[in-house]
Amino acid sequence: MKAPLWRAFLRLFSVQGAWNYERMLGIGMGYAALPLLQKMRQQDPAGYREAVARQAEFFNAQPYLAGLALGATTRAEYQGVPGEKILRLRTALCGPLGALGDQLFWTGILPALVSTALVMVAFGLAGAGLLGFLVVFNGIRVAVEWWGLRVGWASGLEVSQVLHKSWLPKAVALAGPAAGFAMGVALPVIGGWLVADLDRVVMAGALGVAGIAVVMARVNPRVTGLRFTLVVATIILLSAWVGA
Amino acid sequence: MPVEVVVALLGWGTLVGLDLVSLPQIMISRPIVVGAVAGWLSGDPATGVTVGVIMELFALESVAIGAARYPDYGAATVGAVVASTGIEGHGLTGIAVVLGLVLASVGGWTLNRLRHANATAVRRREASLRAGDPLAVEALQYGGLLRDVARSVTLSVVAILSGVAVRTAPALPDWAASGLLMVVIGGGLAGAASGAIRSAGRGRRLRWLGVGALLGVLLLVLRS
Amino acid sequence: MAVALYRIDDRLIHGQVVISWGQFLGVRLVILVDDGVMEAQWEQDLYRTAMPPGMDVIFAGTEDACSKLPAWEADPRRAVVLTGDVPTMAELARHNPTLVKEVNLGGIHHRPGRTKRLPYLYLTEDELSQLQSLQKSGVRVVAQDVPSAGRKDLKALA
Repeated sequence: MKAPLWRAFLRLFSVQGAWNYERMLGIGMGYAALPLLQKMRQQDPAGYREAVARQAEFFNAQPYLAGLALGATTRAEYQGVPGEKILRLRTALCGPLGALGDQLFWTGILPALVSTALVMVAFGLAGAGLLGFLVVFNGIRVAVEWWGLRVGWASGLEVSQVLHKSWLPKAVALAGPAAGFAMGVALPVIGGWLVADLDRVVMAGALGVAGIAVVMARVNPRVTGLRFTLVVATIILLSAWVGA
Repeated sequence: MPVEVVVALLGWGTLVGLDLVSLPQIMISRPIVVGAVAGWLSGDPATGVTVGVIMELFALESVAIGAARYPDYGAATVGAVVASTGIEGHGLTGIAVVLGLVLASVGGWTLNRLRHANATAVRRREASLRAGDPLAVEALQYGGLLRDVARSVTLSVVAILSGVAVRTAPALPDWAASGLLMVVIGGGLAGAASGAIRSAGRGRRLRWLGVGALLGVLLLVLRS
Repeated sequence: MAVALYRIDDRLIHGQVVISWGQFLGVRLVILVDDGVMEAQWEQDLYRTAMPPGMDVIFAGTEDACSKLPAWEADPRRAVVLTGDVPTMAELARHNPTLVKEVNLGGIHHRPGRTKRLPYLYLTEDELSQLQSLQKSGVRVVAQDVPSAGRKDLKALA
């Protein structure tokens, strides 16, 4: 079973390749499931078609953890679990795998490592910082993704207990504070680096703008840095155009 | 700009466009990476890094969670680098980043269109999907990837062309150039800071953010 | 006001709830009202695994939730009440008309019979009319997936 598992793993890199509002990651999951279901194709052609249909249904999770659901549900297909139960497991895994993966990667490891890279840029180590970021992030990501697929495949329906006892919730609890700390260090350092060679007026202006924009974002979360900047920039450009 | 550089930038923009969502999500689509490589390709790594850092600050605010809409900073950063590369000083950095932010918003919109187009394709093959036809699944998957290639190429072409347009446009008055520089640096720092504060919540993570910020300020003071 | 958000989301507990809204509102408690989840211990374990540190979860069946809602509103912890479908939320609001003032449509996804209203919102005619009568009874019904996105009134979805 090693080879199909490996092929499914490679296909998981494009699990969001057909991301759509109707089934979200469903098509990508079905695509990654095909190598794992191959053996069923000869043994039980009718069951195979049903399994393919199920595996391509609506699915949503953090992409790097999708393999856990893929492994568990395809294993359940071989164990003769009723289709309805497999779908129920698949649906139940969406939210938790999304919540865990989002906390671990999107608001944890990713901002922590990007912040580290920013600090290294500020200390003149841009090349090493960026290369290090890509190598470390993807090292962790590939390890977690492969672990998830294997654990899912090994545990089938028992995946929820296995997940509960695994290292994953503990890592999630660590990732948040680590990201907070790294972002805390990076912001003053990279801010200082950005304004270092500007003249004093521009430097003071940039910091003043930052202060105002942070307060506005606290009052109304829809005033993101992006929207704030686009509005103010439009005003400046219009005034320049009128002045010319 | 030499043809081979344009072609390289086009290829790079397409790769990072795909990386954001579709394949392989190895984070080369982070603006700091995009900017550094685009700068290196066009012979001005320092500008690439600066523009990439500012764009990255904006990107740190938005978390790509679930189906929510978010900007696409990939090709946008290529456009911003094209707009400001090889130019002495910071005269064009402000306007270049503003262009990048506009392109990032347009990119977010194209992502939304792509997801609708993929949904339409799924609806067309609904019957074969329900019958469990593996060929339908594969066709939809490859179709989605091809659509994203088309999206990313188009976005990169638009980004590079508008970058060239910005650098050849009449120069802005000094006050406007400085004003834009102020706003993009300030807005970027504010975006990243708001993101950091919001994601810190009220518990342990907030304390760690505070500890980090103190250390960051200390590092800053020690260096200057 | 302990319950800061009444949300309908068929993905139940996921990133948008615990991260986006959780951080924005300072949520400490998620109350998941779903009869199916109430019956399946393993599903509850799964959702419990996914909770961020500092955030608790309570599971309840529909009937139970209708009577316990006043007590949850009195809880000092900021809470989100989450249902996976429209009927469950409508039931909660019917029994507690003074407590449920606004309902957030966070995500109801494609299923045969449902029509697309927003990218994250597909509704059957029946679900839509249930929401409309909820609105008529004085509950504001607003679609918004994450805090940074725009708020869409029910009228815009018909």
